[in-house]
Formats: sequence, C-alpha cells, structure tokens
Amino acid sequence: MKQAYSLLLLVLLLGLPAFRSHAQQAPEPLVTGDFVRVPFEEFARQLEAQTNYRFYFDPRSVDSLRITVRVQNQPVQAVLYQALLGSNYRFGVDAQRRVFVSSGTAINPALPEDFFQPQGTSALADLPDDEPVAVAAGRSHLISAAEYKVYTIGTGSTSGRATLAGHLRDVKTGEPVIGASIYDEALNVGASTDQFGAYSLTLPVGRRNLKIRGVGIKNTRRQVILRGDGKLEIETEEDIVTLKEVVVEAEKDKNVSSLQMGVEKIDIKTMRQVPTAFGETDILRVVMTLPGVKTVGEGSTGLNVRGGATDQNLILFNDAPIYNPSHLFGFFSAFNPDILQGVELYKSAIPAKYGGRLSSVLDITTREGNKKKLGGSGGIGPLTSRLMLEGPIFKDKSSFIISGRASYSDWLLKQLPNRSFSQSAASFYDLTAHISHEFNDKNTLYATAYYSTDKFRLASDTTYHYVNQTASLKWRHTFSNKLFGVLTGTYSHYDYDVTSRQDETTASQLRYGINQTGAKLDFNFFPNSRHTLDFGASSTLYDIMPGSLLPQGEASLVRPDVLNKEKALESALYASDRFDITPRFSVSVGLRYSFFQALGPRDVYQYAPGESRSESSIIDTVRYGNNQTVARYHGPEYRLSTRYSLSDNSSVKASYTRTRQYIHQLTNTASVSPTDIWKLSDNNIRPQVGDQYSIGYYRNFKNNTIEASVETYYKTLKDFVDYKSGATLVLNHHIETDIINAQGKAYGVEVFVKKLTGKLNGWVSYTYSRSLVQVNAATTADMINGGNYYPSNFDKPHDVTLVGNYRLSRRFSTSLNFNYSTGRPITLPLAKYYVNNAYRVYYSDRNQYRVPDYYRVDLALNIEGGHKVKKLGHSSWTVGVYNLTGRRNPYSIYFKSTNGQIRGYQLSIFGNPIPTVTYNFKF
Amino acid sequence: MKTSAFFSRLTGLGIGLLGVALAGCTDPYLPSAIQNPPRLLVVDGFINSKGATTLLLSRASNLAAPAAPPAETKARVYVEELGGPSVQLTESPAGTYTSAARTLNPAKKYRLHLTTAAGQEFATDYQPVVTTPPFDRFGWRAEPDGLKIFLAAHDAANATHFYRWQYEETWESIPIIVPTLEWEVLYGPSEGRLIPIRNRFPLICWGNEKSSDIKLVNTTRLAQDVVADYVVRALPTTSYRLRHRYSILVTQAAQSEDEFHYWELLKKNTENIGTLFDPQPVQLTGNVRCLSDPAALALGFVGVHSVEQRRLFVERSQLPFDWNISSEYDKCPTDVVKTILIPQVFGSPDNIPIIYAPDGVLATSRECVDCRLHGSVVKPPFWP
Repeated sequence: MKQAYSLLLLVLLLGLPAFRSHAQQAPEPLVTGDFVRVPFEEFARQLEAQTNYRFYFDPRSVDSLRITVRVQNQPVQAVLYQALLGSNYRFGVDAQRRVFVSSGTAINPALPEDFFQPQGTSALADLPDDEPVAVAAGRSHLISAAEYKVYTIGTGSTSGRATLAGHLRDVKTGEPVIGASIYDEALNVGASTDQFGAYSLTLPVGRRNLKIRGVGIKNTRRQVILRGDGKLEIETEEDIVTLKEVVVEAEKDKNVSSLQMGVEKIDIKTMRQVPTAFGETDILRVVMTLPGVKTVGEGSTGLNVRGGATDQNLILFNDAPIYNPSHLFGFFSAFNPDILQGVELYKSAIPAKYGGRLSSVLDITTREGNKKKLGGSGGIGPLTSRLMLEGPIFKDKSSFIISGRASYSDWLLKQLPNRSFSQSAASFYDLTAHISHEFNDKNTLYATAYYSTDKFRLASDTTYHYVNQTASLKWRHTFSNKLFGVLTGTYSHYDYDVTSRQDETTASQLRYGINQTGAKLDFNFFPNSRHTLDFGASSTLYDIMPGSLLPQGEASLVRPDVLNKEKALESALYASDRFDITPRFSVSVGLRYSFFQALGPRDVYQYAPGESRSESSIIDTVRYGNNQTVARYHGPEYRLSTRYSLSDNSSVKASYTRTRQYIHQLTNTASVSPTDIWKLSDNNIRPQVGDQYSIGYYRNFKNNTIEASVETYYKTLKDFVDYKSGATLVLNHHIETDIINAQGKAYGVEVFVKKLTGKLNGWVSYTYSRSLVQVNAATTADMINGGNYYPSNFDKPHDVTLVGNYRLSRRFSTSLNFNYSTGRPITLPLAKYYVNNAYRVYYSDRNQYRVPDYYRVDLALNIEGGHKVKKLGHSSWTVGVYNLTGRRNPYSIYFKSTNGQIRGYQLSIFGNPIPTVTYNFKF
Repeated sequence: MKTSAFFSRLTGLGIGLLGVALAGCTDPYLPSAIQNPPRLLVVDGFINSKGATTLLLSRASNLAAPAAPPAETKARVYVEELGGPSVQLTESPAGTYTSAARTLNPAKKYRLHLTTAAGQEFATDYQPVVTTPPFDRFGWRAEPDGLKIFLAAHDAANATHFYRWQYEETWESIPIIVPTLEWEVLYGPSEGRLIPIRNRFPLICWGNEKSSDIKLVNTTRLAQDVVADYVVRALPTTSYRLRHRYSILVTQAAQSEDEFHYWELLKKNTENIGTLFDPQPVQLTGNVRCLSDPAALALGFVGVHSVEQRRLFVERSQLPFDWNISSEYDKCPTDVVKTILIPQVFGSPDNIPIIYAPDGVLATSRECVDCRLHGSVVKPPFWP
C-alpha cells in the first residue's frame, strides 16, 4: 500500500511539472500587428508565427471572414476577442494553447460552462452568453476560468471614471486575503486589500486588465470591461508550496511602489519556516529577526523597535491590545500559530488610525476560519500541544475558528530527578475563538475572544500567575463602493498575582490588574483614484488596580496594603489623505489629535517644585472625586509620508511621525518580567512624546523577485520613564518619587534584502543603530551618569540577521537562521571594597560596558506529508536544532559575593544545541 | 504501542529541554575592562550611641586583588555633635579608629568628619540618634534540616521598623590525631631525626568567624513593629562547628530608613542570586561626602545608633544524636612513610609524623593535627 502511495507521489511529482510546462511555465506570448481586412487564414498563420498557439477551424466557414485589428503587445485571446468582436464567429482556447474557431456557438474545449461558474462569481459578474472560456491546467479550474472571463461591470457611461470594489477571498476557505494588491499595470493605478480583504479601485472606464498579487496567494488576474461603478468579488488560491515562479512580469512591487515605509509584513507561512527553540512557530521571535527590532535577551519577548522601550509597542490582537504577549518567561509567545493570519509591524510611518504607543504598532490578525468546510490543524511539540478547529456555521456566510494550546511542562518538571525542579511548577495555556458572519454584502460582523494564562513556581514558595484576556467585536458596513465604515469595540484585561506562603506570619498575595475598554469608528473613503481618505475617532477607558498586598491565612501579620485605583480616558480623532499627485509622486498627510484625562477618585500628592521628589518633599495632597479630571493632556500627532518613484523598480520615501503615549510600563529589570506594572500619566507623570524622521531608498532586482531597501531614521523620545537607582516599583504609594522623566534619542540605518520566491528564499538584514538616554533632572541627586547621555539597555549598534529557507524538493525544505548582534550594555562592577566583613562591589556608571557579542545559528528541516489530494489529513514534521554551535550567549551576567570573594558569572539559557521535534497536522 | 513509544521519546526530549532551559549554563565571567579601578575611600562602621565607636578606613581595590584591602592610615577622624563638642578617634591598629565608650544624647544630631593624610576632607550629614530595642527572645532550636538561631524583638512605640543583624560565631576545634613523634632538624630541613614529641600541638583551638551576609527586616508593612521569629543563622546538621561547643553572638541594630535602604541596596548589589528577574545594579556610595572635592567619592554608610547584643552556647550533647556532624579533621588520610623516605618527607613542614608503624612511620598533613590553622589557641574570655 505504501509503495502504491510512493508510486502515486512519484507520478505526481514527475507528471505535474511536465503537465504544467505547456500552459504555465511558458510566458503568455504577446502579439503585435496591424491587420487590415486580412483573411482569417492569413491572420491565424501570423498569430501562429508569433506565438505557440495553434488554430483549428473549418477553412470553409471562415472564407468570408476578414480581420481588421491593430494590436500592440496583446495576449492572443485579447487579440482574438477584438478581432472577432461584432462578427458571429466565436473562439475557444484550451490548456495546450489550441484555438478553436467556429461560427455561431463557441467550441468549448473544456468542461461544461456551469462548472466554471461558482455561485459567488456568476452572481456578481455579468458574463455575456457568447463569451468563450478557456482553462489553464495546473490551476484551480475556478480560478483559471475567472482569469479568462471578461467581466462587465456596471452599465452606461463610456467615458469618465468608475469605482470597482469587492473582496479578495480564498477559493477554498472563503477567508479574506489581506494586504494583497490589485492593480492595473498599464495605468499604474492600484489598491490593496484591507484587513477584511476588501478593496476599492477607481479606474477610467473601458477594458481593464487587473493583476492581483499578494503574499501567500497565487498570482492571478481579472479582465473587466468597466462601464460604471460595480462590484467584483475575486477568489484566489492559496500558494501552498512556493514553487519557483516562471511568470516574468513587470510588476510594480509593493516594496518600491507602496507609499508605506518602515512597515514589515509577515504571513504565517513565512513564520513557520523560521526555526525556534522549542520547535513551535513563534510570531514574536520572527518579528525579532526584522531590521530595527531588538530584544534584550533571548528568553525575552520584549521588543525594542528602533531604540524604543519595550512598553512603546502597541501589540494588537484583532484590535485589542495585549499587555503581556509571552508565556513561560518569554520562551513562547502567547499566540497559537495555527489561528494566525499574519502580522504587520509599523516602525516608522505609523498610520493615523493607530496611536497610544511611541515606537511601533504590531498588528496581529487571526484567520477568519473556513467558510466552506470543517477542518482543523494541530501540533505536538516537546513542551506544548495545540489544536485548532474551523468551519462554517452557515455555509459561505459565517465561520468560526477556535484554538487551544497547553503546555505539559508542569508534568515534565515532576519527572525531573533534581529536587529543585520537581518542586517547581510551570504551566500555561491559551484559548482563542473567532466568529465572523456576513449578514449581507453590506454588513459583516466579527467577534474574537482570547484568554491566556501562566502559572509558575521555581524551586521556591513563591507562585507567579498571570492572565491576558481580550475580546473584540467589529461591525463592518459598506455604505457604497467608495465608503466603508468599521465600528469596533474592544476589551483587554491583564492581571498578575504573586503568592508567597513560606512563613505563616508573612504569607501574602500581591496583585495587579488593568482593564481597558475601547470603542472606535474608522472610515475609508475612496473619492477617486488619486485620493484615499481615512478618518475616524476612538476612545479608551483605562481602569487600573495598581497593586495590593493582602495577607494569606489567619496567622499572617501582613498588613493589607491596597493602592488607589487609577482611571483615565484616552480619546483621539484622526484623518489622513493619501494623494497620488502623479503616478510617480504621492504623499500621505495625516493628523491624529489625542486627548487624555486622568480621572478620579484619587488622592494626588503635590511636590515642592525644583526638589527631588521624595516623601519629604510632598507639600500637599489633593483629593479628587469620582470622574473628576485629575490631569489633562492633549496634543497633535503628525503623520506624514511621501514617495517618489525614480524608475519602475526604485523609489525614495520619507516620513515624519509624531506619537504620544499616556501609559507607561514600570520595570526595574533588564528584561520584561511578569511583574511589570503599567502606570497611567497623571499630574506627576507626563505623557511620552516621540518624533521620528526617516528616509529610505527602495529598489527591486531581478523582476521584483529581490527586494532591497535602505532606511535611515532619527528619533527623539521625550519624557519616557526611567528609574532612580534601586527604585521600589511594587506597592509604592508615591511611585513618582522613584521615577524620573528621561529624554532619549535613537538613530540608525537598516539595510534589508528579501527574496520571497524561488527555491532559495529568505531575508538578510543589517542594522546599525544607537539608542541613548539622558536623565538630567533638576536636582543632582536624581541625575544618572552625571546627566550625560548613556546607552539604553537595548543599545546594540550592530545587528546582522539571516533567515534563509532552501527547498530541496516539494516535501523537504531546510531553514537556517543566523543572528549576530553587539552585546547589550551592562553596568559592571569596577572595584571591590571591604564593608561588613565582606568584600562589596563598586559599580560603574549605568550601562558603561557591554556583554559579549551575541551569535546564534539555528537549523531546521521541514518535512511535509505527501501531497495526496484525497488524504484525510496533511501532516508535517519539523526537526530542528536551536543554537547549532552551542555558543553560550550570556542571558544575564551577575556577580555574587561568597566567602568574601566576588565572582562574576554569566548565565546562558540556551548554552547547548537544543534539538526539537514537532509534529503538525491539518485536516 | 507505537504512539506510547513516540510519547515517551517526546517526554524524554521535553524533560531534557526543560532541564536545559531552566538550569541554563553558568560560566565564570571576568571582563577585561576592570583593570585600574578608582581607589575610593571606604568607611566601615557606625557611630555608637551607647558605647565605643569603631570605624575601619580602607581603600577600594581591584576585584581580582588577592591581598587584604589597603588600610587608610593617619587620618584625623572626629565624631561631631551639631552645635556641640567633637571627639577625635584614635588609630590602632592601622586603619582602625576607635573612641572611648560614651553615651550620646538622643535629642542631638551627630556626624562623622574626617581628613585623610592626603588632605581630603569627608563628612556625613548630621543624623539623629536611633536607639535599638532589646531582644524579646533569643535562642536556638534543632530542626530536621539543622540548627536554627532565632530571635524576636519589638518596638512598642512603633518607631523602629528597620532592623539589621550581624553575628559572630565561635566554636571549639579539636584535632582527632595526636602525634607522639617530632622531626628534629639538625643540619638542614631534610637532615634530622625522629624523636619523641617535645613541642606538642595544642589540643584545642577556637575557630571564629564574623557574618558577612546582610540580615535585614523591615516591619513597615506589618500592623505592629514586631519581628516575631526571625532565623538569623541556620546551620546544617552536618556542620563541623557544632561538633563540640558552639557559640554565637548576635548584634541587633536599629537604623534610620536611609541606612536601611543603603544596606538593602548593598545586599542586592552583592548577594543577588542570579535569577532571571534581577533588578539592575546601582551605583551605591552611601552617606559620606567629600567636602574638599565634590567629584571625589567615598563608600560606606555611617549611621548613628546603639546596638543590643546577645550570646548563646550550644553543646553537642544538646543536639539530636542522629545528626551526622562532621569534623574539620575528617579528611585526614594517614600514610606509612617507608624508613628510607623519612628525611625526605618530614623535611617538609607540611608533613607530620604520628607514630612508628611496621616498615616505617605513620604520617599525616599539618592541618590535620595543628588546630592553629583553624583557629586561635587563646581561649576567648567569654568561653566557659
């Protein structure tokens, strides 16, 4: 039986390319000619000479046919269409490029016509009865049919412009295709699909050839005769295995032609190829390989984007912010890869609709779920297992997708012989559910719920526990072809608790929690092909429980200590216009205006001006009632970007972005820890303001198969939080006494080369960047390093990343990941001295020295199951080695004083090559 | 069957991974950057409000320096009262400055003021006097995992809050082996003879060690200013210090909030345990400022407070019999030295003859018979 499968596979592998070569691998030949009353036989001969099409017809039936047509570089079918327009002759084309010409009814060389007309397509496109249809082999019949069909959109006008709108959807699952571009190459006009897969394109009326390109989909096209505003729903095919594309085209690629700069988009398929420590696709790890994104340590998911702190990233999960995106100290990201659609990272030109964080927006979207049939996928890894189910609720109208992931690390720890491990515990799980429902073609509703939790105890009596919870509800309404609106409601919750029970008299629980409820209204308006308007409003209510310490058990002497709640309202209005001044030159001008109100009830301390804030400098306490405004901040956020195309494959872009942030993360450790606190601005803590100027050069090579870019930026950060030495952040009733407002600047150059097609694909990036901090407070006691600029914790000037994937065959591919960066800054002990019967250490200025450079190579082999069509499920194996060279990259460096001697140690978390095996399945 | 084998392999892999991940690898780290450290002045001690004040002055040295810290000698050191007289401390031995026992006025403020031999002038701020409450309880108990020295204290006035303890341990050190022979040097180290012992080794010494870890308790988060049952020292059941008679002297000190935070930071800086979530180290100096040059730093915190001291003794016979208490002289192999090798072996002062044996002489190493290598032969005055 197994042999039979192998044989079948072999046939498939050998047969398919051969079969494809006729139709697909040879480029579509173009015809040029000026025919005036040419007999059809002559016309056919000339076309046969220019192309590899072969004509079949009854010479007697065409003897009276004279052809008058003038064409320049047109495909054969277009030429034929024009040539036979108005006559009663019809033609058909089959996969082997055989053209059948007859009079009256068209010879259909393929299957019956209704086969090619999926309901979704025929209902929308008005296909003339006599339109010939042909099929290319190797593609979905439906897609190919649609490609060759000429859709007539609208009625009436023969001049002017019309707007075409619709959705891009996956043909198999009905899910929207996000971020794909649809464009008319001849006119250099295009649009890209939004997060719902919707597009709107304004074009001059007439016959248009639209190309559709996108990551993870097979290239396709649509031919339309545009006579007025109308709808065109487009179905695309998933690009399961990225075969080497032979289609050569002068595609204006996004890298060069899009106005966006400093944006990185990765879909889940690309992410799957990147090897990880525990064999599981990790969205945040992949984001960290992008230029301009750094992290302080490898066991940490805190992102530092272009010199920004870890709290300056807006991490959105289907529009709801996530406060702690990691599991198990950051070894795993908190998102199940099976449910993810992709991720978009904005690091310089942040669209006006986003706000609230200084450095970046990381927009994570889930898939919508299969609208056509029930399916699922899952995986078994060494530490976790996951399962995802999806399917239609009402076919083609609504779908659900749910996923769960759980670790068995708790159970594994119990198996360890080492006592300190078996007394430890570490477990986590996460659940996601998403439902979408299309009421009609104007109204769609989306709902997402997410829950993730972690609990761990490491050889001690202290248990850490934290929970992320989000929900979002989105209603999308299409007002017209030119106006779309989305109403979104979100809810985010994060809390943690730390429970200690070692000593009965001090048994206690420390808790922290944040709730965020928001609503926003976004509109997209496409007045004409040169303008795209986005505008909207949003409002978010924060409710923070900044901390409480409560006794546990009767014997506990711990005095209950509960910090006052914090409440605030953050609102914003925005509008932006993308204006294509000429096809080569476009600008986007946006303004976001944000308002922030810290609200009561609260008691607020006032400090003596000009003095270092401390308990002794409190001069007054002011009490505010419920919903009374404690402090008010507001300001404009400018979003400008511009692009100028130097040629078809190169462009220059520049942008200026201002961002404001009203919520701050307080952490006194170098990495992100689960006990970090988020604090709202108030009358003592000012909002952070960031300005970023960036300019870049973009160029595509080799027919857009290689994208290259150089971006440089300069950024200033105002009033972000830094800490006085040895600050107490937990349960501090006057936290402002331990915080100082710091100023920062960051600058850098990012060089990025990406190849996403072909057997060998991947990307290489090099970044030179600096990130500096200055604390020059009014009082010398609060100054750090004498008030001079010093490197931030994540200032790593040089960074080289290579993510490569080589496909050995359709089933086997290898991935290689290479990472080098300068070591992060560290505060070093300089001298020792004798106090209290032991040597103590005198430390250097903050971040004066650096840890050894970071260097890591990972390797993975992905084995896909057989590509049998009629198989119950698809499965794949990933075998990998993380840190192949076993380099002991320091995660943390620390010094201990034992027996009167001071010794330095470096701790490497992944100090050995770590092999992993993961089994994934899909059904 | 196949599935379970798969899972067991997976489990093995998982355990290995988790072990690797959680244990990590720890390597020594000695960066080359630390070669010429600043030679900062270090002040160790406090102004005793009820007794003699002792201050140790030294200089900071290279982390890798093996030698004792260089003492700062010939400084002029004063304890000054705000609006009152100042008292000079006398130096003896080098770097140690001591005053006569005195009682400070708790209503006044005091400071340390010193001028180094090189002419740099340092001082602390004037600080109020903190009076340490007495011990409520002080004792020991034998627990399954060892000996616990515990204490309790409180301040009915709810004013102390910040406690710090130091301790000094003393124990009897008695060698197991008593030699009967001695190597008499005649013409050179290896040219001598064995004779019945004349210069006997001491039979008992007293080992001594002062605490170096920083023991702190802050009661501000408790409803009452109470230290209920604080284990100031824990010894494992095998500790050699418990073999005969053991004594510990615990010094209790109350301190100001500033001083407490200084010790807390010092503890964080030098005693942190290398977890994933350590706070960043701080550039910690203390409260001694240079008056003559604001850029010159001094290290150390000199507070003004009194101390309370308590001592206890623990006998071996009071401890559970099943405790497997070790000895400093446990790892003492004896060996028979062949007659022909005797001059060569005993020519080294590290080898000690014990007794004649067939074919030669039984010998051991010096640290197995000479307790002076483990302590002092002078019986402490408090020893019963």
